[in-house]
Amino acid sequence: MIEESPRQHYTDKEKEEIFNKEFLPHINSMYNFGYRLTLDRDDAKDLVQDTYLKAYRFIESFQKGTNAKAWLFRILKNSFINDYRKKSKEPNKVDYQEVETYYNSEEVDRQITPDLRVEALKDMIGDEISNALNALDVDFRTVIILCDLEGFKYEEMAKILDIPIGTVRSRLHRARQLLKEKLSDYAKSMGYKNADV
Amino acid sequence: MSQLSNPNPFMGASGTKPTCMQMLQFMLDNEVTAEQKEYFKNHMDGCMPCFKTYQLDMTIKELLKSKCCGGDAPIELVDQIRSQIAQKIS
Repeated sequence: MIEESPRQHYTDKEKEEIFNKEFLPHINSMYNFGYRLTLDRDDAKDLVQDTYLKAYRFIESFQKGTNAKAWLFRILKNSFINDYRKKSKEPNKVDYQEVETYYNSEEVDRQITPDLRVEALKDMIGDEISNALNALDVDFRTVIILCDLEGFKYEEMAKILDIPIGTVRSRLHRARQLLKEKLSDYAKSMGYKNADV
Repeated sequence: MSQLSNPNPFMGASGTKPTCMQMLQFMLDNEVTAEQKEYFKNHMDGCMPCFKTYQLDMTIKELLKSKCCGGDAPIELVDQIRSQIAQKIS
């Protein structure tokens, strides 16, 4: 799927081995991804379960020893869009055209650096960070999860999300800005001065 | 040409000089070579806005990793997956 590799042929024993050694070790990351997308633990469980069943069913389109994590993340993301996101109507679609223009414009360097302080962040010992992430639009949330929590590279993210690398980059840029705005609001409510974005 | 005396490893294929914001993002997204990393660290010594933004953004990145990764998958999940697969193939 992700590597566009030719169909493989595996014995049952090989399938079992791939499943145990290459797929299952990623279950915690997968569950966290599912949870961060759906924001519901039961839905996350269902999503992960569906993903692993699909991965097993399509195991012969996976080439042993390649990037199993990216392959699994891609299946989970697709399941989320196809099966889950349809059910819960999400009317707000981000205007990416606007995002691209914004990123490529001369304006970026003239942006005011948010005067959010490192010390203010260090005092956020509760759920502030997690809540700020969860409050982002799902497409922005996704790139932050893939890059900052899971350490995927641009090229892997592009494949997982089916978008060009340039879009990965601009989406990440915008997501980071939005996250900072939210954290800055928290800092203000915690009584930090000069926390304007 | 200054390009030869002071080569910027972030220079695009088109030869355009990268902005601070662009270098900063490559750093944050961890899409840099060792050479680019070194260049940016030196650049920060003389660029206060880059230094401040980098410190702040890296703190956020580290906090995200420590606060939003927790929670292992429920222990019964693996068993449920296995039994579902067993049903499907039998």
